[in-house]
Amino acid sequence: MAQQKIDIDITNEGDYRVFKPSGDLDVYTVGSLRDAIGAVIEEENPRIVVDLDAVPFMDSSGLGALMGGVRRLREAGGDLAIACTREQHLKLFTITGFGEGVSIAPTVDEAAKGFKA
Amino acid sequence: MRLSLRWKIAGGFALMLVLIALLGWVTLSLFLSLRTIQRNVFDNAIPGLITIDEIVRSYTAQSAAVRGYLIGSQPSLLDQYRREVAIADVWEERGERLFRSSEERSLLDDLRVAGGEFQKLVDRQVIPRASRGERTQAFRVLGQEGTPLITEIETLGGLLRTQQDRLRIESERDVRSASNNALILLGAVIAGSLALGGMLAVLLPRRLVANLSRLVDAARAIERGDLDQKISVESRDEVGELAERFNEMQVGLKRLQQLALQDRELEIAASIQRNLLRRGVPHMTEARVVPLQRQANLVGGDWYDVDLIGRTLTVVVGDASGKGIAAALMATVALSALRAERGKVADPKHVLEAANRALRDASDPESFTTVIYSTLDLDTGATSWINMGHHSPFVLRAAESPDHATQGYYLEGPRNRALGWFEDPGLTENHARLAPGDRLVLFTDGFLEAKSQEGEVFGEHRLAEVLIKLAPLDGDALEHELVAEVERFAAGKLDDDLTMIIIEWVGTREGVPDRASGEEPWRSKR
Repeated sequence: MAQQKIDIDITNEGDYRVFKPSGDLDVYTVGSLRDAIGAVIEEENPRIVVDLDAVPFMDSSGLGALMGGVRRLREAGGDLAIACTREQHLKLFTITGFGEGVSIAPTVDEAAKGFKA
Repeated sequence: MRLSLRWKIAGGFALMLVLIALLGWVTLSLFLSLRTIQRNVFDNAIPGLITIDEIVRSYTAQSAAVRGYLIGSQPSLLDQYRREVAIADVWEERGERLFRSSEERSLLDDLRVAGGEFQKLVDRQVIPRASRGERTQAFRVLGQEGTPLITEIETLGGLLRTQQDRLRIESERDVRSASNNALILLGAVIAGSLALGGMLAVLLPRRLVANLSRLVDAARAIERGDLDQKISVESRDEVGELAERFNEMQVGLKRLQQLALQDRELEIAASIQRNLLRRGVPHMTEARVVPLQRQANLVGGDWYDVDLIGRTLTVVVGDASGKGIAAALMATVALSALRAERGKVADPKHVLEAANRALRDASDPESFTTVIYSTLDLDTGATSWINMGHHSPFVLRAAESPDHATQGYYLEGPRNRALGWFEDPGLTENHARLAPGDRLVLFTDGFLEAKSQEGEVFGEHRLAEVLIKLAPLDGDALEHELVAEVERFAAGKLDDDLTMIIIEWVGTREGVPDRASGEEPWRSKR
């Protein structure tokens, strides 16, 4: 499957980072997010808020990458939270049950407050 | 630096042209020097010799004419003397023009002075004395004073002749020297031309042909299927570049070969998956099951399973996350675990627990599988389903009469979490009862996530509308029309698998509970 790049704006917000991908997060682009998460996994207490406001479409691969990110970051002593107001994505979290146990909030600040680590 | 073959050939021709020009220049130089020498000989040396001879001869003739006149007193001899004097003047003037070196001019001047003195002697002393009859005295004067002058004239003439001879000898030497130089240069140029021509005519084509032969041999080997030909061509021209491209092409061909092998393996995997999925739909009079599957790739993550155990029809639809081989493997794991467990126990919860364990064992952190596991009691129409992170099923209600429009709803109910990720995903079961003619529609997210060119998704609302619109059609036709509708929406570009199963309960209306009794637990989101 041909991989495509997705732009991910990364900013530091004190003790966590904000990843803001722009574009569809699907099987073709999910590698970019996976790589970006992998790049910080070695850091101490790696914490990331993924802001999905600029992601118009997300499929099961995108969701899998986010959930995989949660698992990997928690194993590394960190966490991943999600800032999202898009109903379509929120519904996907609800349907699959992945919203449970992961901090999902409308804003980055609120999402960051729900970090487990 | 790469030197183009075109420039090599052009350079060879240019070199040949330079050599030809050099040859021409040498020939022209030789011709010009010969012409200069010829001019020296024919325009100076020979006319000089003739002039000197004529001057000396003229003075000798003057002396002889005067002597004859003194002996015979013939006036004609005196006239001859006068003519010779005029002739001597003419030749002396010519000598003035011819002899340009200071030595020649000095000798000519001396000669003219001696000649002038001889003529003065003849005109003023010899002829007047002879006219007075003093011939003996005239003879003596001519003999004593005139003869030495004539001798001096002859001596000076001899010296001038020697000068002209030297000029001729120098010219001859110059001719030989110029000829020798020209011959050496011509020899060198011809030898150089032959060497260069030989190199261009023999070595270059030979090298070119040798390199091309290597390429031809390699091409034949590749034709036989040997893609390990390493072509070594040192040449830094187009042939060298061709060899480089050839090597790169081999790498590409090898990659293509590997891809072809992978494709073949993928086809085998697809065949295995098709065979695994293609479990025949059991024949029943109480229900009709119409499955449809349209895969976006050779293999995919969508799967379904239909089984009839006793009077219970089990229909399961699953969707592994992602696409391609990874998703297909997860689909295979889920389906295999599910079938294996169902062979041992009939309880859907136990079956799903076993599938969850198998998927958790096999999954990578990013993979999960959504499943909807439904059962239908063929005798009563009682149906149950366990939703594991999947989209809600849809029901198309049989119209109560031809005047009534078909109704359709999503069957919302307690939902559990997807398989493969959580240790305890939850296993809450939903229950409902179908009426005869009702159709339960199970589907995967490929229908909902189909995107238009503008990026809009097909979505649940549109799917519900189209299902209701197509409800008058039977299962097969409905599904095909629905897929056509989705394809039109996505402008033919569907990235995800589409799977749908329509389960129609045919059972008679006798004994069916009243829909308005409140027993029906369905809720519609619309």
